[in-house]
Amino acid sequence: MLSDQLKQIRSQNRISSRTVLNYLFHDFVAIHGDRVLGDDAALTGGVALFNDQPVTVLAVNRGHNAVQRQHFNGGMVSVSGYCKALRLIKAAQRFNRPVISLIDMPGADASAYSEHHGQSQAIAEMLAEMGELSSPNMAIFLGEGHSGGALAFANTNRIIMLENALFSVASPEAVAAIVNTDTDINEYLPMTATALKRIGLVDDVVREGPKVLENIERAVAKQLSALNQLNEQELINQRQKKYLKVLEAGRE
Amino acid sequence: MSQQPTRGTWTKCPHCGGHVNQLEWGEYCQCPHCHQYLRLTAQQRLKITVDTNSFVPLEFQRKTNSQLQVPGYAEKLTENQQRTKLKEAVLAGQATINGVSLMIGVMDSHFMMGTLNTEVGRVIRVLYTTAKQRKLPLIMFIASGGARMQEGIFSLLQMNTILMAKREFDATKQVSISVLTDPTMGGVSASFAFKNDLVIAEKNAQIGFAGQRVIKATSADKLPANFQTAEDLLQHGLVDDVVAREHLRGYLATLLKLHQRG
Repeated sequence: MLSDQLKQIRSQNRISSRTVLNYLFHDFVAIHGDRVLGDDAALTGGVALFNDQPVTVLAVNRGHNAVQRQHFNGGMVSVSGYCKALRLIKAAQRFNRPVISLIDMPGADASAYSEHHGQSQAIAEMLAEMGELSSPNMAIFLGEGHSGGALAFANTNRIIMLENALFSVASPEAVAAIVNTDTDINEYLPMTATALKRIGLVDDVVREGPKVLENIERAVAKQLSALNQLNEQELINQRQKKYLKVLEAGRE
Repeated sequence: MSQQPTRGTWTKCPHCGGHVNQLEWGEYCQCPHCHQYLRLTAQQRLKITVDTNSFVPLEFQRKTNSQLQVPGYAEKLTENQQRTKLKEAVLAGQATINGVSLMIGVMDSHFMMGTLNTEVGRVIRVLYTTAKQRKLPLIMFIASGGARMQEGIFSLLQMNTILMAKREFDATKQVSISVLTDPTMGGVSASFAFKNDLVIAEKNAQIGFAGQRVIKATSADKLPANFQTAEDLLQHGLVDDVVAREHLRGYLATLLKLHQRG
């Protein structure tokens, strides 16, 4: 059931992006700040090695306990976080580095601060920049990821999801409030890893359990080595075709 | 009451509550008491924007999507289609403004709050692609509450795929202009609405990413009275200008003239 799944991925014991970051990468160097407004704690960004390849990492932090969650704004990335991400993506483009995002966020920050500093523009910029990136990019959904705020991190060549992770247009509660149904909304609107794999949006569903970190590593290595074979134009085309194919799939 | 018109029906202004006769609204649908606007239908917007009889709609083959089976959604669509006489929440085509040819898209908030779904997204992608093929400038009138929940992830994916189509249009070096009208929110605001070359807001329009109810629920911020109005955005440097409805046509004509390519 969707409600059990939500409880699980929102629990304080859920695997965090920090744990995954520490396990997957070596020589991580954090890059702070958007150079204008500040440094958003909800997003850890930087450069690291995956095996021997330099990659750019964008990790959304949610926090395990109440104090951390407050510090990280519960994983709701603010306008400053998107501007920081944008800066890192542009550097990745210049140095031809793959971009790997680790997603666990209910959505983008909703506050007067973000609105007054251009939350819409920042998300739109990041969406466009990720779509135009001529190096590989990949998103890994660890917990939930909703709305355009999550899509900005997931406009990527490959999407990997943990088996209990969710990716939706809005939080399942918000969708359910508008779409009135007695049954599980996932039945009508795909948002779980397996349902999204079925429609071709998700490339790899990662088994959870004691070996989850090894499983994530294996999935990333497999997908990245495939993407490393593609040239710049092929990467842009592959990304574009992937999304259009998902949209065309059910039409007749 | 003898000084009041005897023809037409009376309605209440949703902004000030004043009683307004149908004839007093005028073609700009502006309240004679508080000077606020009513939301326009796509047809009304076209009428006050483009040269008379110049609009030629793009033709679309209708398709149904078997993946969209949310209970009650089909009925809702039919009801909206019958009420608005539109097939979906956007009209798109070619037209002229003061003789200058352009591609134009107009969203309609009367059709399921102008929400972005697979069909609206497809029309907008085709609009960009056609503008690219015909080497024409493009104007988008935005009126949308954001992504349409009833189409879930398929609505969300319009945000990035429209930007991909826009990227190809940008290669033509023709100008693209957004006119943000009431309302411009959520997944539309955070996608093509703010990515066109010029971003103009219509006076009094509500524009933002998150809705005020959501902001109040998730942050302790006290919201100023003019929060997320066109004027608020101008003050914070987020839009190029705020233009009154009655001046928009002339303003757009000037912009098109300034961006004409030899």
